[in-house]
Amino acid sequence: MSFSSAHQTDVRPSTHGHNYELEVTLRGDVDLETGMVMDLKQLRDVMESVVGSTFDHRHLDRDTSYFDQRPSTAENFATVVFDLLDGALPSGALHRVRLSPDEDLTVEVSR
Amino acid sequence: MIRLTRRYRFSAAHVLARPDWDDARNTEIYGKCANPSGHGHNYVLEVTVRGEVDPQSGRLVAVPKLDAIVRERVLALLDHRFLNRDVDRFETEVPTAENIARFAWDALKGEIAPSILDRIRLVETENNAVEYVGAEEEA
Repeated sequence: MSFSSAHQTDVRPSTHGHNYELEVTLRGDVDLETGMVMDLKQLRDVMESVVGSTFDHRHLDRDTSYFDQRPSTAENFATVVFDLLDGALPSGALHRVRLSPDEDLTVEVSR
Repeated sequence: MIRLTRRYRFSAAHVLARPDWDDARNTEIYGKCANPSGHGHNYVLEVTVRGEVDPQSGRLVAVPKLDAIVRERVLALLDHRFLNRDVDRFETEVPTAENIARFAWDALKGEIAPSILDRIRLVETENNAVEYVGAEEEA
């Protein structure tokens, strides 16, 4: 999914924004009835409610409390997103989160 | 586990042919890439590091520092060069995508502390990419 957020860090103290690209990878057994690891609509709804509604068109540092104690770097943001999704998805289903603030930088968090 | 991947671009020419093989053998192994006139690619080099996020900076590695190291140790040597002639290592080693990826690995390994070099991915064309994660004894 894509979403757009503003942020600032000590290195880049002016508020600026990114079109973030988020890739979420799940791992698990294929359900024998549906042939799917997980219903993609269900995954989409979780991503929208947990990530989209929290961060899209928001200022990461001012409009959320996740970065009060740490800078909103791609590394910390990807870790926050991993933990939020991990808490909302069935236990153990989340395998990897890849977050790109731009096309030349990607951070990947996995177990 | 957390990893950071940075993408770079460079353009270079090469010929895929071994001097100790004849034309027929080189064409059999390397196809039209063996044309001695050379040809070029717009390469994409992806450098992946892993490690711990520094609690102060929130970063695995200082990205401008990583960029400077990759520029100095890899891109400056390869960009807009004829690899077979202009890079010492490729006078004896055929500059295949595999060998260019290993060249980048050897140039960067141990140079980006405190993070650890995790993977080199070299994209030669949209249909052709190589990943290198080091020799087994390095793992």
